[in-house]
Amino acid sequence: MLIRFVGNRGDLSCCASQRRAPERGSVTRSIFETSTNRIGLQQANSNLMRQFLSLCIVISVAAWSGCSPQNGGAYPSKTVTVICPWAPGGGTDRLSRIFADLLRDQYGSQGSPFVVQNRTGGSGAVGHSAGALAAPDGYTITMITSELNTMHWMGITDLTCRDFQPVIQINADAGAIMVGKDSPLKTINDYLDYVRKNPGKTTLTGTATGGAWDLARAGMLLAAGLPVDAVRWIPSKGAAPSIVELLGGHVDAICCSVPEVAPQLESGELRALAVMADERLAEFPDIPTCKESGINWSAVGWRGLAVPKNTPPEIVKSLEEKALAIAESERFKQFMKKNGFAIAIRKTAEFTTFLDEQDEQWKTVVEAAGYAK
Amino acid sequence: MADLFQLQILIPWFLCMLLGIFVGATPGLTATMAVALIVPISFYMPPNAGLAMIIGVSFTAIFAGDIPATYLRIPGTPASAAATLDGHEMSKQGKGGLALTLDIYCSSLGGLIGVGLLMILAPQLAAFALRFSHFEYFWLALLGLCMSAVVSQGALVRGLLAAALGILFSTIGLGVVSGTQRFTFGQIDLMDGLGLIPVMIGLFGLSEVLRNVVQRKNLSQAALPSGATLSHKIAWIEIWRKKWTVIKSSVVGTVIGALPGAGADIAAWGAYGLAQKTSSEGRSFGKGAIEGVIAPTSANNAAVAGAWIPALVFGIPGDAVTAIVLGALIMYDIKPGPSLFQENRAQVNSIFQIALLTQLFLIPCGLLGIKAFGLILRLRRGVIMTGVTIFSVVGAYTIRNSMFDVYVMFAFGLIGFYLETQKVPLAPLILGLILGPVLEENFRTGLIKSEGSFSPFMTRPICLVLWITLVIALASPVLYSFWRKRVSHGST
Repeated sequence: MLIRFVGNRGDLSCCASQRRAPERGSVTRSIFETSTNRIGLQQANSNLMRQFLSLCIVISVAAWSGCSPQNGGAYPSKTVTVICPWAPGGGTDRLSRIFADLLRDQYGSQGSPFVVQNRTGGSGAVGHSAGALAAPDGYTITMITSELNTMHWMGITDLTCRDFQPVIQINADAGAIMVGKDSPLKTINDYLDYVRKNPGKTTLTGTATGGAWDLARAGMLLAAGLPVDAVRWIPSKGAAPSIVELLGGHVDAICCSVPEVAPQLESGELRALAVMADERLAEFPDIPTCKESGINWSAVGWRGLAVPKNTPPEIVKSLEEKALAIAESERFKQFMKKNGFAIAIRKTAEFTTFLDEQDEQWKTVVEAAGYAK
Repeated sequence: MADLFQLQILIPWFLCMLLGIFVGATPGLTATMAVALIVPISFYMPPNAGLAMIIGVSFTAIFAGDIPATYLRIPGTPASAAATLDGHEMSKQGKGGLALTLDIYCSSLGGLIGVGLLMILAPQLAAFALRFSHFEYFWLALLGLCMSAVVSQGALVRGLLAAALGILFSTIGLGVVSGTQRFTFGQIDLMDGLGLIPVMIGLFGLSEVLRNVVQRKNLSQAALPSGATLSHKIAWIEIWRKKWTVIKSSVVGTVIGALPGAGADIAAWGAYGLAQKTSSEGRSFGKGAIEGVIAPTSANNAAVAGAWIPALVFGIPGDAVTAIVLGALIMYDIKPGPSLFQENRAQVNSIFQIALLTQLFLIPCGLLGIKAFGLILRLRRGVIMTGVTIFSVVGAYTIRNSMFDVYVMFAFGLIGFYLETQKVPLAPLILGLILGPVLEENFRTGLIKSEGSFSPFMTRPICLVLWITLVIALASPVLYSFWRKRVSHGST
């Protein structure tokens, strides 16, 4: 009943607004409009109340009428759930929501909604497990994230990337080492030399113990030929409190992903010594990579879509095609640019190999860092 | 400011404030959820309308949490837990209407003071917040925990027991510091620990239902026989008499709200404790003291304003709501952070204006909410309790879309019911649950930072002030009674 109810809302509200508003801006459709679209939409504001009322009527009519004939065969014929393993408002959530909305547009002819469901908990394990264990019918998609490659090595869950059928990688944000603007350290090699001369004296923060960026710094130290405890890791709840610690001068440096510190980097409050990427970032071309400084190390936090294993190949193929079309769209590119997220597209086959490679890379680091279970 | 008085801004603004009343008064629905729902819709509107919706919903929700806390002893949001003490006590004495009238005006005043401080002192307060590190947060948490003695309502040993239980429950989950699992028994649902909201709904909501079922005689009567008579004149006389409590609590609330490691819930408790310690009527706290109502409600709204300080000055969220707002600001092409005040002064000013006006609009919306809630409470108690049960289940589920949280809620409903039959107060348990992790994480992280040395905990300037305050707060009752004995000895 609930599924049909939502499904109808999608169908009918779209028709209702098409009749009235030339820009096809139904309330559901316009979730996450970018500012370019907004200018046009401002004219529609006076229509908003009328649209809202008509939506209310449509919802109640849809609720009363109950069932609509199901489109037999064609995917998707009912509501598709997009599981986001992280909390509302965060980067993964924002990406899930825009992608769900764009997927709905891509499958426009059927008009089935793609609804984001936040299943948080267990450092991402809850949402990932729910996504992997769902029925393999294509009606549950998961926005999988890089924790999938690390958490099973640490004994948090038995779930691995092999429990999923990857569809497409969307984004990869490189980690970076940041210091305050007044720090005497100018390059990543300055930093590592300092660490080498003062083992265990410098402090670094960014995530919880065993979190993504704790592992990334451990990998970097190993690649530089230093022991993992050469730097003292100060556990924290995430990038925001870590930035406060660095701005307040309570730690020497932080390690987290670049978009998380973009406002502070742009204002000059913080300075990035190096990014853990294979190539320099388009948004911040002045920051050197670890590799060009002689440290063979890269660490990215990636996000991508996956469906449960054994999902019919034609559905995987269809989702891959639609997602590739989205990746080319202006609205998607604008969204990524504004949020500072780097676009990194890998098709199904490449994404599958990438996941396996990442799994191996993190296995080594987790073991060397002493977190393996 | 005139550009804010347009129908296309005012209508969504008021609608969102009414939504805030509903969300805040319903345990399990949070301001964070409401903001997450509004943000996508707000992109459809001019930036000021979107900001008005978000700011409107977050301030009203924090106020509205006090309504069920006062009438039914069920806090609508974690920031209203303190209102279950004196607010509910006043309600039991038939003065619920006065308590809520005080609530609405003090929330508005607290918000005004908070926003005022945000406007005038944001850069300075932000710089002050930067001086807080793990060492300072440790003492702050310890000071907060000492309040469990204040909120024990006379039963000191039982209160401390409840606080200890709360701390014990708070250790469940994946430790941020150690990275190891504690008391999870391999359950991934327990990995992030017990959710504060399901626990609170169980402890206060469901246990209240159980209590009512046991005392069966009440069920056929109206839940609120006297109705909600709002006494504006008395309320203003009381507020004028306690004006310093309002100001003190609002300032404390703003400062605590500005700390990235603490929010409106801790602010409310902090103000309650401060008011009790500095009041001439400290002994009447927990028995329906007016200041016990005024202090937390002023502080929690001020804290919502305070959370905007690090968000606007550094681009770092002060709480979950501002975290979502920061994401929205980016979509509006507003880059929060150090340059915002210079480059986007006009936008900052309109945020301030919206926040100020929201405090004024809060009064009619809040009064409407109180009236509506009062009408609902004319229903038979049995009907109300059935509703509370339904909302408890739905609320616990919606937080994470998780059935597990519903079981947690039921378990804590039974625990809360049992503890109350043993006369163990529940407020210290919530305090332990909120502050336990703050205390432990900051203590252990501090020790990692200082390489095992305790001296930064004692010698850093703010730490010094905090621990001396703590010693004075703990020693003052002992010294006071000692001094009184000597005086009475001397006179005889």
